[in-house]
Amino acid sequence: MSWWKLGKKSNPKKDFVKEFLLKNEDKIPDIRRIDQLEFVVLDTETSGLNPEKDQILSFGAVKIWNLKIMVSESLELYPMTNTGFESSAKIHGMVGAESRIDLEEFGRELLQFLGNGILVGHHIGFDLEMLLKSLTPFGLDRFPNPVIDTLNLAIRLEHGPMADWNQINQNDYSLDRLCTKFGIEPDDRHTAAGDALLTAQLFQKLLFKAKQKGIENFSELVR
Amino acid sequence: MSNVIVNRVAEFLKRFPPFSFLEKEDLQAVAKSVEIQFLEKGETLFRQGEAARPHFFILKEGSIQLIETIQEKQEIKEICDEGDVFGVLALLGKRPYLLSSIATENALVYAIPVDVFEKILEKNSRVALFFAAGFAAGQVVVRQDLSQGQKARGEFKNPSGDHSLMIFSDQSEVKVSENVLRCRLNTSIREAAKSMANHQVSSIVLVDENGFPQGIVTDKDLRNRVLAEGISTENPISSVMTTPVITRKKQDGFSNLYLTMIRHRLHHLVLTEDGTTQSPVCGLISDHDIFLSMGNSPAVLIHALMNTEDISEMRKIRDRAEQMLLYYLENEVSMEFVSSVMTEINDLIILQAIQISKKVLDPKFPEFAETPFSFLSMGSEGREEQLLRTDLDNAILYQDVEESQREKAAEYFLALGIQITEILLACGFSPCPGKIMASNPEWVQPLSVWKSYFSEWILHPTQEALLRVSIFFDFRAVGPRKSIAEELTAHIYQQIGKKKIFLNFLAQNALSNPTPLGFFRDFVVEKSGEHKDQFDIKARAMMPLTDLARLLVLSHEVVGVNNTFKRFENLAQFEPNYEELFIQAGKAYEILMRMRALEGLKQGNSGRYLNPKTLGKLQRQLLKNTFAPISELQEIVQVRFQLDYFSK
Repeated sequence: MSWWKLGKKSNPKKDFVKEFLLKNEDKIPDIRRIDQLEFVVLDTETSGLNPEKDQILSFGAVKIWNLKIMVSESLELYPMTNTGFESSAKIHGMVGAESRIDLEEFGRELLQFLGNGILVGHHIGFDLEMLLKSLTPFGLDRFPNPVIDTLNLAIRLEHGPMADWNQINQNDYSLDRLCTKFGIEPDDRHTAAGDALLTAQLFQKLLFKAKQKGIENFSELVR
Repeated sequence: MSNVIVNRVAEFLKRFPPFSFLEKEDLQAVAKSVEIQFLEKGETLFRQGEAARPHFFILKEGSIQLIETIQEKQEIKEICDEGDVFGVLALLGKRPYLLSSIATENALVYAIPVDVFEKILEKNSRVALFFAAGFAAGQVVVRQDLSQGQKARGEFKNPSGDHSLMIFSDQSEVKVSENVLRCRLNTSIREAAKSMANHQVSSIVLVDENGFPQGIVTDKDLRNRVLAEGISTENPISSVMTTPVITRKKQDGFSNLYLTMIRHRLHHLVLTEDGTTQSPVCGLISDHDIFLSMGNSPAVLIHALMNTEDISEMRKIRDRAEQMLLYYLENEVSMEFVSSVMTEINDLIILQAIQISKKVLDPKFPEFAETPFSFLSMGSEGREEQLLRTDLDNAILYQDVEESQREKAAEYFLALGIQITEILLACGFSPCPGKIMASNPEWVQPLSVWKSYFSEWILHPTQEALLRVSIFFDFRAVGPRKSIAEELTAHIYQQIGKKKIFLNFLAQNALSNPTPLGFFRDFVVEKSGEHKDQFDIKARAMMPLTDLARLLVLSHEVVGVNNTFKRFENLAQFEPNYEELFIQAGKAYEILMRMRALEGLKQGNSGRYLNPKTLGKLQRQLLKNTFAPISELQEIVQVRFQLDYFSK
């Protein structure tokens, strides 16, 4: 190992991480049509909003292929948490410790599912930060996949790519508000998988809106 | 699988019949397989005359109209509301849709795979009754159509048994030309002919001052009655017309009009307002128009492909070709014909893809627009055996360019390869898992590099090189310049000639395929993984034959025969003492191709894995019989290439 890397030591990569990175080596051609792209719409439920100390309580995701939400290609995972968070999870009426899986198993199933899909989420930056934190012990230091934030996409489609974000009230673009606006039946239970499904429906509608604006292929969508 | 998501879908479904009749596990099974599709206002989900999808639909939100188009008039048959089930034709008869479905407002639709539901239909009589009684939207038409009660049962067994509808995919689509070319009786023959030429039509109708038809003159009449007879073209056209004219009215319906034409041997039928010669001409049907409406015949599909550059349209045509394929396979049409037709269609899609891509890229790289190149199809498409849209294996070979232009040329041809590949993927072909595609820079190369690739594989036949050989040696040039590809073929034979021992390596590789039958003469099935207990027809039965045929053809230095069963036919001529064996091997390969394609069409996949338990006794025996020539050929190869003495 070279000397300049010594300062920042990263963990050795587990096989499932290597496999995941290998899958992502091929770049998606710019001109690939949107209906030929695979999207993984995801959401996490966490014990709080501080990535430093909070933990993932549950993860949910569903794939979109050919512009269709594939229920058969969906996933929910409940990773092991430190004691203390356990109680708060139970209050949410969620899963007890017995059916939670250890973090390595969580990471393996998660990365296998994500594959080289395009990651989509509402305010996805936070989810990815949380997920990455749980994967660093196994040698992942970043997600190589293309990423789309439905929050940004909604604003871009409504206000144009040059929108002045200071002029926009971000509260109008919360998942709940957007769902109401797009006529998507909301869901009061707020589980990760439930929200992933909502986000997927929202994303489906945003994609159609994008098409009307002439966004037809990968590069135009992801920019 | 996410329980939360599955439950969410199940909760919706269970509110509506027939899902409300389902037990919990069945409902879960259905919910698990749902695909959620969003339709924009005005969008069409399926179109009248289109092949039935492997899904039926339930409307989650919004509104969808089921519309019947008869003679260009649209009639709303049904308006679907939340929870309505529609598109069940796929479930009942697997015949083309009789109605179109159009979203009248933004709509969310759950698509449910038919195969999941068929199992439930079998055991749950209430659900079966629901469909039988025609409660699903738009089903009225289905009942009408299955007038002979028993037919419905037969439809389940033999999905495409009734092909009468396939011949005319959509009768209302028959185009009636309304702009009929007309002239007066005293027009000269020359002027009438000139007018036909200008309008590029094959007939002209002669009318009186009221516009009533008096006669008709066609191309054939000009040939037989004017040129052959040597009549002056200054004579009036009325002297050579066919009269009186047979007329009908447009409202007579397609089958009556068509029957009239058949009975009277007419190529052109004149339509008038009231159907008699005592009213004005209002239209004309030619047999060419009818020909174009004959849905799924090769000529029509090819004609349609040649006339479109719209990728979604191309995909639809390829989907229709699959319907035709199913009909051919079930009716035992000769494999040579079937594979030639399908290859022609696949090739045409590639040619269109090349043309579309060049149109996009040539303006950016004008200096290479004329550089000769070949699009190489490899693997099964190279062998003209690709019936289903299985993996793409292809590459680009182009003429060497000046040193200074090399980089730019590489950039152009790679961009071209990517464009073409993307179009093919959008047309429904699957990508090659090994990335042997024209979008991979390694396989987009000038002739000199391709020559060095092949030289390297032949001179150093490593395990990897031999695997490549099985794909690359079956290349076939599709597209503009075939001569460069021929140059490459010549190079390959020259190299093999220099290093004969290469064939021994190839022989060894051909014998390394896994065996089809186990010690107890039973099928060897996969032991684990996704395809546990299934038989891999590709690796265990077809690959051995392809590999053996390729090896033997190469050893005889035969050029240009790629098709496995044609290769065996050729070999039978070269080696008369083994004639019978080679003929058997060719037949075996045809049977395997047919079985695989039928399985693939049935399962909606590549058909590579069969479940031996689901095969009938006859089919199992047939399949086992195809293995006999494999082992015999392997023994011959073993001896001929002295593999026992050959270092392993």
